[in-house]
Amino acid sequence: MNATMSTTKSEPTAIEVENLRKVFRQATTGQSVVAIDRLSLHIAPREVVAIVGQTGCGKSTFFDMMIGLEQPSEGAIRINGKTPYADFDAFRGKMATVFQQDRLLPWRTSYDNARLPLELMGVDEKIQRERAMHWLKRLGLENFANAYPHELSGGMRQRVAIARAFVLQPDILLADEAFGHLDEVTAAELRSTFLALARECGSTAILITHQLEEAIAVGDRIVVFGKSAKLLADIHVAQWKPEDYGLLREAIQATLQSNSPDARLIRAP
Amino acid sequence: MLSDQAHANELTGRFPRQAFVSIVIFCVLWEIMSRLSPSLGIPPFAIPSFVRIGESLMKITPLDVIVTLARVIGALVLSFVGGVVIAMGMYRSPSLENYLHPLVRILMAVPVVSWILFAVLWFRGVEFRIAFVLIAVCGPVFLVDALDAMRGVSKDLRGMMRSFRPTAFQYFTKLMFPAILPSLITSWKINLSLAIRVVTIAELVGAVTGIGHQLAVAQELFSVADVFAWTLVLVVLLFLLEALLVRFEARVLRWRA
Ligand SMILES: Nc1ncnc2c1ncn2[C@@H]1O[C@H](COP(=O)(O)OP(=O)(O)O)[C@@H](O)[C@H]1O
Ligand SMILES: [Mg+2]
Repeated sequence: MNATMSTTKSEPTAIEVENLRKVFRQATTGQSVVAIDRLSLHIAPREVVAIVGQTGCGKSTFFDMMIGLEQPSEGAIRINGKTPYADFDAFRGKMATVFQQDRLLPWRTSYDNARLPLELMGVDEKIQRERAMHWLKRLGLENFANAYPHELSGGMRQRVAIARAFVLQPDILLADEAFGHLDEVTAAELRSTFLALARECGSTAILITHQLEEAIAVGDRIVVFGKSAKLLADIHVAQWKPEDYGLLREAIQATLQSNSPDARLIRAP
Repeated sequence: MLSDQAHANELTGRFPRQAFVSIVIFCVLWEIMSRLSPSLGIPPFAIPSFVRIGESLMKITPLDVIVTLARVIGALVLSFVGGVVIAMGMYRSPSLENYLHPLVRILMAVPVVSWILFAVLWFRGVEFRIAFVLIAVCGPVFLVDALDAMRGVSKDLRGMMRSFRPTAFQYFTKLMFPAILPSLITSWKINLSLAIRVVTIAELVGAVTGIGHQLAVAQELFSVADVFAWTLVLVVLLFLLEALLVRFEARVLRWRA
């Protein structure tokens, strides 16, 4: 790629967010909550992005709009040129999700949960079996293919949920607080497995988290959300020298706490 | 509230020893009363001995049992399909729900006797009357339970499922139906005992076959022994069907902790 070319503009975009706004009207009080206030963000193909922000800042709302479950109040999200909400079915098999809770179907075994997305696409059963078993094995679950979710630990269930996402070998991989409720050791281990697999598949991945450590561990790019998903910082980690990571961490911490961009981030080295 | 032991027995369908004892005591007392009844001034037919009841049991006609069973199962299947389909419609369309909900509440408040009288006044065909009464009583139970259960399916699971873009049919067969199945089985248990009791009353009116009809005949003959025998058959039938349901439940719900 030509290094002198001005940034992002001419690069292809996998995920485009333009002036996105989401207002909820609370059913009980009748009050309006602005969950997302005019967010714009561009994410390139194969980029792995961490979005970090405090609880209640609108991360899950943004996530639901990327999946196409919620309609934007204003503005637009385009993923590979299509709108997840309006072109809902166009994303069949192209997008995979991992949620905070594993969200496994309790009446299905690990194997049947893992192959669910392929089954919904009407993929040949033999291929379903091959792929589901392949990914269960990659996640160390080959001996638990026939176990029901209630027979597994929290970490194992989340592995099944990750296998379910990867069977699609998706273009777009979205995770919302996927490791947040696990103990630190399990979370760190699953996170690195997840990232390695995402890079291997060449997916564009967004990992949403409220934990700074997790965001930093993810790598390429860290987007910091303030209240109402206000874009406080957009950090390309590669532009930072490893010896400055301590500084970077402090600056993001300060940004999250003050809900305004920290000066050290603005004049990035 | 059931004790743990009672609950365990219900789950496994096992018969506890205490129940056996109390039944034996009841039978012995009955037999004693039967022997004493002449000297107590009770008419001899009122408390027949078990020999008499045994004779009545030998005369049970399997055809009547089968006919009643067929009426119950047929009406329950129709109620089930109708109830679940209408519940699905109400789940998907809030305006349909607003129209139908009060109506269903009213239907559920109508006494069984009123349904039977309506059936007699409105319809001539005996089978039609019986089916009408059973469906009127059992249909709303399936409908309300299915609708409640659909509403109870977690938002998390619905979001997960939708994120993978299922067709409407897949959404129902792979998420909603398995999720509400435990409630549906419970409604089947409730409706089964309801239908077994209601079918006999419905059969009292105009039917020329079935256990209800045989009970009416026994009443005309002043035969307590026959009434006893047919009642016994009904109760055993209900227990057998319930045991079948419990086994089915254990099979399909083995994913539950
Ligand atoms: N369905 C909804 N109805 C009303 N308010 C909502 C709804 N979903 C989210 N909100 C509100 O939007 C804000 C952002 O919520 P959320 O996106 O879940 O935050 P996060 O995931 O960052 O913790 C919160 O104030 C929340 O109360
Ligand atoms: Mg959230």
